[in-house]
Amino acid sequence: MNEDREKMSDGFNLGLDNKGNGATVRPAGSRVRVIGSLFAGIFSARLEKSAPRIRLAAWVFLGVYGIIAGKLLDFGLRPDPPASVKRAAADAIAAARPDLLDRNGELLVTDIKVMSVFAEPRRIIDKDEAVELLTAVLPDVDAHELRERLGSRKGFVWVKRAVTPKQQQEVYHLGLPGVGFLPANKRVYPNGPVAAHVLGFANLDGIGISGLEKYIDGQGLADLHGAGFSLAPVTTSLDLQATYAVRDELARGIAKFKAKAGAAAILEVNTGEVVAMASLPDYDPNSPADALDPNHINRLSVGVYEMGSTFKAISIAMALDLGKIKLHSRIDARDSLRYGHFTIHDFHATHRVLSVPEVFTYSSNIGAARMALMVGVEGHKAFLGKMGQLGRLRTELAESAEPLVPKNWGELNTMTIAFGQGLSVAPLQAMMAVAALANGGLLVTPTFLKRSEEDAKKDAPRVVKAETSEAMRYLMRLNAEIGTAKIADIKGYFVGGKTGTADKIVHGHYSKDKVLTTFMAVLPADKPKYLFLTLLDEPQGLPETAGYRTAAWNAGQVTGKIIERTGPLLGIPPRIDLPTQPFPLLAKLGYAEANVPAHGGRAH
Amino acid sequence: MVRILNMLAIAALIGSAIYAYTIKYETIFHAETIVKLQHEIKLEQDQIGTLRAEWAHLTRPERIQALADRFLDLQPVALNQIVRAEVLPGKAPRVDAIGRKLGALGLAEPTNTPRDAALDAAVSSTPPR
Repeated sequence: MNEDREKMSDGFNLGLDNKGNGATVRPAGSRVRVIGSLFAGIFSARLEKSAPRIRLAAWVFLGVYGIIAGKLLDFGLRPDPPASVKRAAADAIAAARPDLLDRNGELLVTDIKVMSVFAEPRRIIDKDEAVELLTAVLPDVDAHELRERLGSRKGFVWVKRAVTPKQQQEVYHLGLPGVGFLPANKRVYPNGPVAAHVLGFANLDGIGISGLEKYIDGQGLADLHGAGFSLAPVTTSLDLQATYAVRDELARGIAKFKAKAGAAAILEVNTGEVVAMASLPDYDPNSPADALDPNHINRLSVGVYEMGSTFKAISIAMALDLGKIKLHSRIDARDSLRYGHFTIHDFHATHRVLSVPEVFTYSSNIGAARMALMVGVEGHKAFLGKMGQLGRLRTELAESAEPLVPKNWGELNTMTIAFGQGLSVAPLQAMMAVAALANGGLLVTPTFLKRSEEDAKKDAPRVVKAETSEAMRYLMRLNAEIGTAKIADIKGYFVGGKTGTADKIVHGHYSKDKVLTTFMAVLPADKPKYLFLTLLDEPQGLPETAGYRTAAWNAGQVTGKIIERTGPLLGIPPRIDLPTQPFPLLAKLGYAEANVPAHGGRAH
Repeated sequence: MVRILNMLAIAALIGSAIYAYTIKYETIFHAETIVKLQHEIKLEQDQIGTLRAEWAHLTRPERIQALADRFLDLQPVALNQIVRAEVLPGKAPRVDAIGRKLGALGLAEPTNTPRDAALDAAVSSTPPR
């Protein structure tokens, strides 16, 4: 065995081993021999040595493969690094927002994809050159500011948002490293200023700032989108065509009567939907900086005004509903009403005893004040509170104003508030109350989203009796037949209406020549569907209005135009024959004359 | 025998490996196609969105009214121009106006032109054979 091993060792070591010829080398010295024996030890092919060697090799390989496997596992388990700049910029991109549609599915607001140029300052080699080239292509980027931004240590900066395809091509051809494009959502309002106050606007980052845009942000839609749901469009209550028509007629009215500002709206009385709304002057949400101008506020919900005689409708309804008066009751309006050193006059003074319908059609301040006095201060307060006139009206629009309620509400306040002075409310709020008087007595909160009648009436509180509501409809119809609202009595529509002219308060005193005129009309008066409101701020008397600046001449006329134009758009069929029994409840109660059309009267 | 089995096993191994790789590459190919198609769909959707916005912008009432005022000889619809369908008059009975006119001309009646009279005479005066 030993011999064989010797031979094998010789054969394997090919002479490197000195075992075989050790005798010849030995004289060269013992050091050589030691080295030689070491080599012999390492490269020996003897079997007793090969087993641990193989084991060693196996361990080494096992170790290497173990490391590789471990590393693979490590790579597999490690969360993805923020590899692409897209991910880093994901939160910088405007989130997708749902479209807003009008009630017929017309597009009001939508997102479009636009390319935005971004830069990664760390990857830009020559920043000055980059600034020079970029500003040459994008002339409206400020060079100084861009240089500053590129000099920052941020990983991502916007160069310019929303570039045109041509600019994108040009930037692309610059071939700058570290400059790229990202598709971003841009909010567009195709109709410009139409319905701007309702829609509001969103900023460049896709965050709603005002109006419905802000409201939908509060509904958690952005989170839904983040979770991978596609955003369903939001259907608003607006009718685009009607909204445009209202705005157009209002603009004409403002120009004609040289008013400072104006507002108009159409409210669906049964569902509370705001079908059309305009407040002028307004702004284009595509350039939202204009929205900050305080003159561009939404006068229907942010402005508070003394509504003037339109408030008499509420006062009369209150007295009727609480049973203090009946339609046949007589109210003494022979003399001006004195209270302390204040005197209440009638604008259309009659100096006689008036019936309740006459108080309404002559718009008698004295009559309304006397009715409120019958109810008393506390009752008046409670009724107005019930009608939602003393608290802030909350709709989907975040912009709203608290009404200006007198701090010390005495008898005099009750008397003046009865005919619309001394209490400032948002016009939309007053519309809500008048809508409740018209629709049968349910106080339906206005909404800017599409809503069904069942939903609206589900939790609408009853504020007046159905008979009171019908009496108010009769009074408004009568007013359009023979009273102050004659000008808006559009033939073919059974219109009812009420005017309101309030002197404006200038430096704490009621101005003699500055007025705010309002007009409310219900249509059709026997079975109301829509309530129209027009409000003009400081309209001027014209020769053709005989110099009058009262509501009937201006706001009434504008409302008439609006009714004429939007009636067909809203699908109200004109009636050749007026209804024969428009007020059946009143007839049952013994007021048969309510169903007989009245003629004559005066125009104011 | 054992050798043949070995050969078969190796062949099966190679075959299954080829098959597995084919499937793998096909999967990758399909996955890439899906990504590509999704990208295209997204692009199309974005374009549809843009076109919808453009359409809404072009058909906005303000613009249509301005164009209509300029190019159309129309006026706003008046309320007395709108009637209910049941108010419309019923369809009149069908009248053949042209036929009636022709009838009134009397074309169908016998005439006494000379040629006709001669023909009549000839017919009546033909002697029996």
